[in-house]
Amino acid sequence: MSGIGAALLNSLDIGLLLFIIAVGLNIIFGVLNIINFAHGALYMLGAYLAFTLINLAGMPFWAALLLAPIGVVILAVIIDRVLLRFIYSRDVADSLLLTFAILLMINESVRMIWGSGIHVVQPPDLLSGSVQLLGSSVATYSLFVIVIGLLLLAGLWYLFNRTRIGRIMRAAALDRDMAEALCINTRLVVTGVFAFGAWLAAVGGVMAAPMRALDPGMGDKIIIESFIVVVIGGLGSFPGALIGALILGLIHGFGGRYLPEVNMLLPFVGMALVLLFKPHGIMGKGANA
Amino acid sequence: MKNVSIKNFLVAMTAAATLGTAGTSYAEDPIRIGGMYILSGSAATYGEFAQRGIDLAVGEINSSGGILGRQVEMIYEDTQGKASVAIQAARKLAYSEGVDALVGLDSSGVAQGLVPTIPALQKPLIITHAATPDVTGNLCNAFTYRISVNVAQNMKAAALVASETDATNWTTIGPDYAFGHQSWEFFGNYLKDIKPDVNLMSETNFPRFGAEDFTPFIDRVMDSDAEGVLISVWGGDLVNFIRQANNRGFFEKDLEVMFTVGAATEVLTALGDEMPEGVHLSTRYWYEAYDNDMNARFVKAYLDAYGNPPSYNAQGAYAAIYAYKQAMEAAGTTDGPAVAKALSGMTMESQNGTVTFRKGDNQAMVSPNWGVSGPMHPEHGIRTLTNLQIFDGEEVARTIEETGCKL
Repeated sequence: MSGIGAALLNSLDIGLLLFIIAVGLNIIFGVLNIINFAHGALYMLGAYLAFTLINLAGMPFWAALLLAPIGVVILAVIIDRVLLRFIYSRDVADSLLLTFAILLMINESVRMIWGSGIHVVQPPDLLSGSVQLLGSSVATYSLFVIVIGLLLLAGLWYLFNRTRIGRIMRAAALDRDMAEALCINTRLVVTGVFAFGAWLAAVGGVMAAPMRALDPGMGDKIIIESFIVVVIGGLGSFPGALIGALILGLIHGFGGRYLPEVNMLLPFVGMALVLLFKPHGIMGKGANA
Repeated sequence: MKNVSIKNFLVAMTAAATLGTAGTSYAEDPIRIGGMYILSGSAATYGEFAQRGIDLAVGEINSSGGILGRQVEMIYEDTQGKASVAIQAARKLAYSEGVDALVGLDSSGVAQGLVPTIPALQKPLIITHAATPDVTGNLCNAFTYRISVNVAQNMKAAALVASETDATNWTTIGPDYAFGHQSWEFFGNYLKDIKPDVNLMSETNFPRFGAEDFTPFIDRVMDSDAEGVLISVWGGDLVNFIRQANNRGFFEKDLEVMFTVGAATEVLTALGDEMPEGVHLSTRYWYEAYDNDMNARFVKAYLDAYGNPPSYNAQGAYAAIYAYKQAMEAAGTTDGPAVAKALSGMTMESQNGTVTFRKGDNQAMVSPNWGVSGPMHPEHGIRTLTNLQIFDGEEVARTIEETGCKL
């Protein structure tokens, strides 16, 4: 049964990439109460900046992995200070409208700056090619994505549960007024959280660049997947993002392999089942989650 | 005093403005052509290619006297790849912008939705890319023409190529919408006719359009008994597919691999030498396939202007503008029904040779191109095509009875 091992690794590589993106979406929602439609666009921007740094400026992949997300973070801080700060106190629907507008602006800008063509980024030499694992040929780069995904997972868990910054973020998520009363600079927390979410999206974009073709619609594709992850896992939940992403990864990895006739339907069946039995997602905590 | 001078100034300005309009009204208004393409999102590159082809054609025509002595002006609308958006766009172009003719369409789904609404507009439409057989078949009408190769023509050619190979068990990987399914259906039927002992496998693979990760489907074909596989995945999806297939060792297997849109230059440019050698690649127009003056001029102009060899979509759009030039000059007018009538049965010189819009279904008899990927082109940075086959457009076309078109 060599096929199962290959499908499992494939599911993990799809799932952990989705986790990196969806967890940013969830952190932003959890703390800021904003559903960030532009999250996919920030992911795309990360990928295109990596393309610029690697293919056009000739930098190594590792430099792009460090620098491209910083570029996106700078943009995120500007977006937060110039636009989002006016709607933090408003209904969540307003944030959907505003971030959708931001998404459209970023999409069009990408098309104007980089053109509408298809671009490809090569993985670094160290990670190119494939290796034999679990009885089938697996791209070395996929294994790298799995490793980075797991490292980020561990790092985020540590950040939220074991550090002061993590506790401040959770405090601000629970009760912003109380946090403020305790002399926490919530404005800084808000900007920091949005920038951190954007950083995660951009890291996802740089990670995706060597294995996914770049085009101006790549952000739209990932945001739909990420929303499915969030619905399955639970909006605003950190473990929910992981569980949702892994479930969707498994649906893609095994569904395409063993149930190809219904591969388009499966993610939505999964979503519908979760909504029926756990309307707030597997790890969702109800209306206030 | 001050007031008076301002008044004078205004009078002078108004006079100047009227003079201006009077001046221009002596020259005739430009001929307006509406272009409807995908100009945003993942497939925006196809709309951009069409615009490039059209820009070249319009530039050439305008600098050599225009059509019927009038300049040509383009107005574009983004279809977003959606039929409902395209229908609105066509109405806007016809009624608000007052265009004389329409070109466009990148998607089969859009074409199927839009084409039935065209007769009401009383403007001719030349389809330059969308390949569904239906629009020159059971959905045909007197105002809709297609200058590019359709799925039926290309799959007849594909079946001829496939019948020459040793493969008996055939399967497919294609996008899960009209294009993927119709490609497999036409290919299978033609191949069965030509070579009755082939086995069309029931295990087919239709990943979602825009799936990004095709690995599960690649594995499935590799583990099956397939000896030949028809792949109609295209655009960015095809770039992803080929890179993932390389990682999986797909091309090292003893498989006949046929890519129905694999020789699209945008895909070859993105992939470079990651496109493997020795696979069958098709395109609706291969820029090195035709040795004639118009093609040589077009390829050179395109390379000079954009730095890459022209894609089939640029060729179709370019040729469509010249088709309108010839039809409008033959009709002596830009009147919609008259131009549509002039297009019927019209024969024109194009980059891919002499092309006729067949009376009966309005499909241009153009040649699908198939070849085998060869060494890298020394200048263009893409794979070359070896064993190039230029199929006769008429021979690979369905008969008019088969199309189901009644005009």
